[in-house]
Amino acid sequence: MNRLPLVALAVLALATVACEETPPTSVDPDVLPPEPITVEAGLSWDEFGGGLQVFPGFGSASDLGSGVLAEDFEGVLDARTLGRFAAFPRTITVRDSTGGTRADSLPIFRAGRVGVVLDPEASTNQEPVTVTLGALSQVWDPASTTWERAVDTIGDARPWDEPGAGSARPLGEMVWDPAENDTVYFPVDSAQLAEWRDTTALDQGIVVGVETPGERIQVQRILLSLDVESTLDPDTVVSSTVTRRDLTFIYSPVPEPPPDGIRIGGTPSWRTVLQVRAPETLTGPPALCERVGCPVAVDPDQINYAALVFRTRAGPPAFQPTDTVNLDVRPVLAPEVLPKSPLGASLTGSVGRRVGPNLFAEGEGAEIEIPVTEFIQDQLRGETATGENAPVYVALLSTFEPLSIAFASFHGPGSELEPRLKIILTTGATVELP
Amino acid sequence: MTAPSRSPAMRLPALLLVAAALGPASLHGQSIYNSAGLGLPVESLDARTRSLGNVGIGLLGSRVLPSDPAAAALLGIPGAVLTAQPSWVELGRTDTGETGSYQGTRFPLVGISYPAWDFGMATFSFGSVLDQRYSGIRNATVDLEEGPVAVVDSFDVSGGISEVRLGLARPVGSAFQVGVSVGRYTGSTLRTLIRSLDGVSLTGTVSDFQEGGRWEYSGTSVTGGASMNVGQIARLAGSVTWSSELTAQADSEEQDDRTFDLPLELRVGASAMLAPGLLVNASLRRASWGGTGDDLRTGIARDVTAYGAGIELSRAQLLGRQAPIRVGYRSADLPFSLNGEPASETAWTGGIGLDLASTGPLVLAGLDLAVEWGERSEIGVVEDFWRGSLTLRVSGL
Repeated sequence: MNRLPLVALAVLALATVACEETPPTSVDPDVLPPEPITVEAGLSWDEFGGGLQVFPGFGSASDLGSGVLAEDFEGVLDARTLGRFAAFPRTITVRDSTGGTRADSLPIFRAGRVGVVLDPEASTNQEPVTVTLGALSQVWDPASTTWERAVDTIGDARPWDEPGAGSARPLGEMVWDPAENDTVYFPVDSAQLAEWRDTTALDQGIVVGVETPGERIQVQRILLSLDVESTLDPDTVVSSTVTRRDLTFIYSPVPEPPPDGIRIGGTPSWRTVLQVRAPETLTGPPALCERVGCPVAVDPDQINYAALVFRTRAGPPAFQPTDTVNLDVRPVLAPEVLPKSPLGASLTGSVGRRVGPNLFAEGEGAEIEIPVTEFIQDQLRGETATGENAPVYVALLSTFEPLSIAFASFHGPGSELEPRLKIILTTGATVELP
Repeated sequence: MTAPSRSPAMRLPALLLVAAALGPASLHGQSIYNSAGLGLPVESLDARTRSLGNVGIGLLGSRVLPSDPAAAALLGIPGAVLTAQPSWVELGRTDTGETGSYQGTRFPLVGISYPAWDFGMATFSFGSVLDQRYSGIRNATVDLEEGPVAVVDSFDVSGGISEVRLGLARPVGSAFQVGVSVGRYTGSTLRTLIRSLDGVSLTGTVSDFQEGGRWEYSGTSVTGGASMNVGQIARLAGSVTWSSELTAQADSEEQDDRTFDLPLELRVGASAMLAPGLLVNASLRRASWGGTGDDLRTGIARDVTAYGAGIELSRAQLLGRQAPIRVGYRSADLPFSLNGEPASETAWTGGIGLDLASTGPLVLAGLDLAVEWGERSEIGVVEDFWRGSLTLRVSGL
């Protein structure tokens, strides 16, 4: 009997909990506040932009991990790929007369083949081209070498004996047909292998070039296949592969900074920095002014979307992209120390804004929209979500630096196709009691 | 040796904890009329009162009922009451063509009574006054550079107005009882408009636009009532409730603070035993909501009248226990309407009571169940509903 109240309480709880709440919902416009107005405003460069600067020199070709070959590409560009191989194997394993395996610590490197793996997709040629291989005998630094200099570090500048590592000893030439394979092999003898085996020597390495003019070839990697003879069993020859230790490329001419316009990417990479000022008031479009009167003070919470709109531009033909370009936009956190300012988190995500290569050639003039909604909202608030001063400069750069010898170009201020700021905002709503 | 059994009233604190937890936060929308004016009036009635079609006054018997402050005068011992009220609603509108169904649960009444030395019976109650929760959807089109784009406006209103009352009731002589209570209006409402531009095809994420405000309600009420018992066979009662202005104070300076006139409410009711085990009742309520219309920026308000009547067969039994059976009918004007036409709510009512634990004539725990089948309507709008009420009563602390 005494349990009855508890049972009643349970029934009461069940009766209430069992009912799923679905509040009344109406489409009657009279039960909603007046409709807000959503408009799109386009701001010209003079209304939002300023301080555009293009900076070269971010990263080096050795960071890329691939190479480039060119001979008079677009009548201008020459490029060669340089490399060194990693340490040769110290021991090999062979079978002895009893059928067991033994380690041979005195292998003999009889011969080898230098393999140059090429990327048909990223290369311009459709027809066979002649690829050359040479052996370097001059000290060179993979991180700083250029077309003119073998070493170009602070306090140590050494020119090549001939520009473009042209003094290399020829080791051979091979024809590469992109329709048949992606690798060309150059045979090398034991004397050359002995030279490359000394990994402490800075005056050794290879230089790969192309003789066929008018093409730009992408080198994916280099490798060295070795035929190794055993001292334990001279009849046994084993194969071993050595990967590269260094891989870089040198090219000429180095592009001059653009007199106008925007440049992103390349090797070393270009970055463009510009000032983006969020509008505190708007005087258009007419639909907005008719509804709420102009000028309209812009509140950050009214911004639905903001984007920088750039128009693609065909750059120098020798450096036009042949693959998709990934654009990144990041706030510049300390513009006073440009170009070495730290950058904030990406506004475009980890992949960036992908732009097809044709838009920098025959498709030039295409609009590329890069969202900067939070950047504009933070600027109107005066601070970021973490309470720091809202930045006013952004850097345009390649998502991966460097990614390619090619760079992306956009029209700059003063052009008919200059950048603009697109804003979609909603306002005019007042929520009050009835 | 057995463990000492705990009386039902010993569980009162736990019950009140449940009630407190469910109280003001559980005012859920149960009608499209929540969107009209200040919302849908919600009466703080128990299940017995509802099942008898009564409007909250004049029923024979003692109880904590905010609209009948004298009804607690003869309670004699401490007690508590908790009412839960689920409802299921179907909407059909010919004026806008919309249909829909929704459901929800509210807790319209939590009450406690406790003897106040020689002064009588003190009461505390917490109940609903106006339910304001609803949602609105609007499909709109905006013109962007890419052309017309569909957007969606969502408007959500949550909250409502409740009232906390402290009262005192006492007998005057052998046949009369009087009661008075002082109430404080409380509650808040949060109104949020969100425009979603999900349909816009853009490169990056598009932020929703959001605008809204929150208002805190406050105000005071005083209710006085008197009743007369004719032996154990009849009871006649009346009450009047005066309220100050309802103040709605906005949290933000962007929104306006507002005040609203609240009505003077008059109630009379009577019940009588026509024969052993046969109780009849009738009641009437009048509230002057019309003045509130002057304070509304949109919509109008009307003075309203409510009435109801019902029969209770009190000798019915279930599982060997007393289980009164009740039927009734009630009709009430609604002060606010959707399209300006007079709106009303009518319902057929029924229910049953069950005494769960008793000691002699004293009921220590009881349960009342009411079911109402009715409609709220005005020209162009019909809202059919089923509404249940479940009241748990305990006493004997």
